[in-house]
Amino acid sequence: MPLPHPPPRTPGVAGARLFASLPPPPPSPLQSRREVHVWYVCPDELNDRSQLDMYMDLLSPSERNNALSMNGPRLQKDAMLSRALLRTTLSRYSKIDPRSFDFKKNKFGKPEILWRSDDSNMEWPLHFNISHTSSLIACGIAMDVPIGIDVEEKKRKTTKSILSLARRYFTPSEVEFLAKIADSDAQQKEFIKLWTLKEAYVKALGRGFSGAPFNRFSIQLETNSRIQISKAPKACNDSDSGDYLSENWRFALAELNSSYYMAVCIEDNSRGFENGPVPLGLKVWKTIPFIEDTLVSGTDAVKLIT
Amino acid sequence: MAAPITAARSAVFPAHRVQVMGAMLNRTSASFSGQRASFPSIRLQPVPKRFQVSCSAKQDTINKVCEIVKNQLAVAEGTTITGETKFVDLGADSLDTVEIVMGLEEAFQITVDESSAQVIQTVEDAATLIDKLVSEKDA
Repeated sequence: MPLPHPPPRTPGVAGARLFASLPPPPPSPLQSRREVHVWYVCPDELNDRSQLDMYMDLLSPSERNNALSMNGPRLQKDAMLSRALLRTTLSRYSKIDPRSFDFKKNKFGKPEILWRSDDSNMEWPLHFNISHTSSLIACGIAMDVPIGIDVEEKKRKTTKSILSLARRYFTPSEVEFLAKIADSDAQQKEFIKLWTLKEAYVKALGRGFSGAPFNRFSIQLETNSRIQISKAPKACNDSDSGDYLSENWRFALAELNSSYYMAVCIEDNSRGFENGPVPLGLKVWKTIPFIEDTLVSGTDAVKLIT
Repeated sequence: MAAPITAARSAVFPAHRVQVMGAMLNRTSASFSGQRASFPSIRLQPVPKRFQVSCSAKQDTINKVCEIVKNQLAVAEGTTITGETKFVDLGADSLDTVEIVMGLEEAFQITVDESSAQVIQTVEDAATLIDKLVSEKDA
């Protein structure tokens, strides 16, 4: 699938300091609370030692230690790139040096930006979420609304059968939907689509897997490409988990580079009624931070399913 | 709990992970002698079974968990997985994690609810939970 390839901004240069002095690309402002920007890297394509050292340099000491405690050089590189991607992405929208961000976790473990009192140039707080697959790391950004993102390889093989996974974790209506699909490849793809949508929702909600158990809410791709989320009916002896589920969330589902499904979910706090569903505005860039950014949304690389 | 100390040790001396399987049993005993030192009267008595269960998971359970994890994550040959190994450090994503949990449920004939599954970070966490659920089931 041919992607637009603008020429690199500068020829390969040795020395991290030179890279670090390049200005970051001009910020791409988020137009509204309905817009989500996604920036992703492909770790397998990033092997230049001086580039990787430069990215490592952006990390905090604890992020560095955490990356190094991963099992093996490949996972260590991915962990490092994930933090570098996050920091450089946030920097694009805030005029803050990538090294300067501090992070915290909410009480359920969801990572968030720790803003300082002097971050006065931020009109709206940025929200972010990260998703990894073995070959792609994506960072989603939204303005003023919680966001969740999940990316999965379309053809990802599971060790358990699709229906046994669905029976264990999904709702009865979702199991029924999947069971009706005769072709096993098609069934597997629909499973992955549902999985990424459900994951994105749970991550956006920020209460952890147990805060929004998968079998407490159903997601349905409707014929008009709308994504419908509904709480599963609660049996009277069910626990309280799932009480925090709400249905005012917006979704987008796209096929990325013909190899991945990517689901994004943001809170929908629009007030008043709208004529029909208002789609979530999605923009996607492939990035090699400080080197090259390629807008891929609007091309064949990003095919919206919804 | 010994886990935080051993985690730090692993980060600083990764090569020593190979020896950890055997050493872990010693470490468990070391923590017992620490307790005994503060309770001299207990030293003369056999350690009550309940103390043993709460301090560590059975080695057998840990081994089984390691095997299930290795299968799920297609871990490279020669990779060492021990009690303190974190699932995320092996590159497990959310789908891997639920498949591992399902694998454990099948292997041990137990059910793991979401809130318990969420706090499992290491192989030993999983094994400890399994031992607890199995003993509750058999009780």
